[in-house]
Amino acid sequence: MDLKLNDDQNMMKKVAADFLKAEAPSHVITDWYQKKIAHLPEIYKKTAGVGWLGMTLPDEFGGGGSSATDCGVVFEELGRGPLPGPFFSCGVLAAQILLDGGSAAQQKAWLPKICDGSAIVIPALSDDPIQFGPKSVATRATKSASGFTLSGTKRYVQDGDAASHFICAARTDSGGVILALVDRQAPGVAVKAVSGFMIGAAEVSFTNVAVGADALIGALDEGWPVVLAALTKALPILCAYQVGACQEIFEMTNEYTRTRVVFGQPIGRFQRVQDHCVDISIHLDGARWITYETLWKLDSGIAATAGAHQSKAVASEAYYQSCHFAHMVFAGAGTDYKHPLMAHSVLAHALYQYLGTPLFHKRAMIDAMYPRKTA
Amino acid sequence: MDFSLQPDSPEISAFRQEVRAWLAENMKGSEHLRWSGNWSTRENAEEYKFRRALAGKLGAKRWLFPTYPVKYGGAGMSLDHQFVLETEIDKYGLSLGSVFYTLSRLVAPALMKFGTEEQKAEFLPPMMGGELAVWQVLTEPQGGSDVANCQTKAIRDGDDYIVNGQKVLVGHHLPPDFLWTFVCTNPAGKRHENLGWLYIPATLPGITIQHMHLMMGIKNAIFFDNVRVPAKYLVGGENNGWKVANSYLELEHGGGGSVAEHPLFARLIAHCQRTNFDGESLMEDQDVRDVLAEMLIDLDVQRLMGLRNFWHRYVKQPHSYGGPQFLFLQRMVRLRNAERVQKICGYDALNPDDSVHEVADFEYTVRSGPGWLHGGGTLDTDRLIIARRLGLGRPSQEDAPTTV
Repeated sequence: MDLKLNDDQNMMKKVAADFLKAEAPSHVITDWYQKKIAHLPEIYKKTAGVGWLGMTLPDEFGGGGSSATDCGVVFEELGRGPLPGPFFSCGVLAAQILLDGGSAAQQKAWLPKICDGSAIVIPALSDDPIQFGPKSVATRATKSASGFTLSGTKRYVQDGDAASHFICAARTDSGGVILALVDRQAPGVAVKAVSGFMIGAAEVSFTNVAVGADALIGALDEGWPVVLAALTKALPILCAYQVGACQEIFEMTNEYTRTRVVFGQPIGRFQRVQDHCVDISIHLDGARWITYETLWKLDSGIAATAGAHQSKAVASEAYYQSCHFAHMVFAGAGTDYKHPLMAHSVLAHALYQYLGTPLFHKRAMIDAMYPRKTA
Repeated sequence: MDFSLQPDSPEISAFRQEVRAWLAENMKGSEHLRWSGNWSTRENAEEYKFRRALAGKLGAKRWLFPTYPVKYGGAGMSLDHQFVLETEIDKYGLSLGSVFYTLSRLVAPALMKFGTEEQKAEFLPPMMGGELAVWQVLTEPQGGSDVANCQTKAIRDGDDYIVNGQKVLVGHHLPPDFLWTFVCTNPAGKRHENLGWLYIPATLPGITIQHMHLMMGIKNAIFFDNVRVPAKYLVGGENNGWKVANSYLELEHGGGGSVAEHPLFARLIAHCQRTNFDGESLMEDQDVRDVLAEMLIDLDVQRLMGLRNFWHRYVKQPHSYGGPQFLFLQRMVRLRNAERVQKICGYDALNPDDSVHEVADFEYTVRSGPGWLHGGGTLDTDRLIIARRLGLGRPSQEDAPTTV
């Protein structure tokens, strides 16, 4: 047993922290969130240079060959920002889907471009906003002479507006799900940013979009298992990002209890205020250790499906709740879009929904451990 | 990072086989006995006798305090050896720290840190040998969480201290050999500077122990009536008790950590799998599954925070707020699980089942919710300590005391 980061990981952490300090200090990030800027192409390119896109991919595809934990360490720092951009959706999740389900030709064609930032491939999975999962895939894939014709609307695609390409999940006539790689510029593809109490989501519609048979990722009607396998490896890294975000909120809130004086004393002397900080600590550390244990399982070849679902449930809830407890402490000042808490607060709501809510993942965790007889 | 509890070096794996075989042999005859890992509220004398004898045997093997120096009764072994022992004995629902009811696991480290060489040589070997039941005797009727407000007086008289006062809510249903207690050695002195720590033979004249019947079973009130305690039993020096307390209480307050898996969840799953309602297994009920998911997450978070604290303790880098955080979380998880078990099991959750270990018993689980909101402080003192360690509203952060 050894629960500390190794020297390399400490260095990666420092590099990421320095990167953020130089390229995206807190007040700048706060401004981006207020303006709903969810993708900074120049910064994204720079992160490719540091090796943060496709970090866990093998060297032959331009990846870093890093462990899941290494990647988690970097994402934890990015989450402290929280640095916006398709680092996870493309650099981790789409990369993993292509690695797990893509043909040798697809891997060769796309993975290096993901790693160098020249292609931004974004998974567009659920149509139905109510819930994540294969049941929410409604876009139709109709057989055509050369492949499929896609029609449907994905109401909320995280990082959709940053995409150069999509991995579109669609339902075939036989009821199965396929994954198709679609060029954003293809006729019939439309992307519309969604505004609201969220960031980074776009509505992506496919109107009679023609894709060739070679655009399929994975076997016909076997697309969803590819997504699930990729999620097991990818979700814990998204969770590490949320852990970093919780850590930032925790420190920011604790510091405020020292500097904010009311009724003649720092608010941290009031036990009710202290309680909010204690609650954040529990959400933060719960998410941290569940996430890092799952990353360790991934790196050690131990089954991690239930752990990945558990991590997503715990980390998304932790981020959401940490924001709420921080709002209790910061009160009015913390609801100003110029306050750093607001970037987190908005993002926490988006990530609560992204790739399934905590309730969805709690159920998926139990289902993975104790499959139902009547599925 | 490495979360593995199963070190696999050849030496360690041979040790695991040795421990496993030894336990299999020495646990014989206990098959019909059921207990809790900590303090049994069932007052079963046969269970207690078996457990005390087992502790004596483990102590003779020097396995109760495996990493402690050989000269004091430890085995001078590595942390890996301790893992092996903890994880193997956990399979029987016990832990090294509570083979039977004694607080040696807390007292021995404090003696290591604050005892004189003579005290260590005299007190530690029988303690580490598992021969003694030591009770922690801190709470006073008027004190509660305010431990420093200690009214039990110990006034120096020649080579003795004369002790007068009362402690409550302590101990177990069968009597102890020693009392580990906090006394006021200088009634005129300043708060925190007027206290001493005494290790008192429980059979001295003037000590009366009286049962108290509580939600969590039997505890005791202890009366000291002009008890003459030889001065050699003062630990940590004159009026230095608060320092001893700080280091010592950190262990009680969760800083010691834990490597145990909680047996409750597996038992609840088994219950759901074999119980039908309305023609369907409880495991197929979505509401039940949702409750189970919440419970599993809570128990996993608790397990991992325990593991984190365990690791921090043994690499001797105390986690600043990890101890009280674990304790607070554990209280809240117990409370939530108490209701979850009721939601799933109905009336059966209120009816003890003596065929299982107490920690996995649903009725014990239900009682433990409210019953463990105090003990080593309250959930509110836990949060106060966390706040100080975080330095909330303060210019500096209080360090976690170094534990042994």
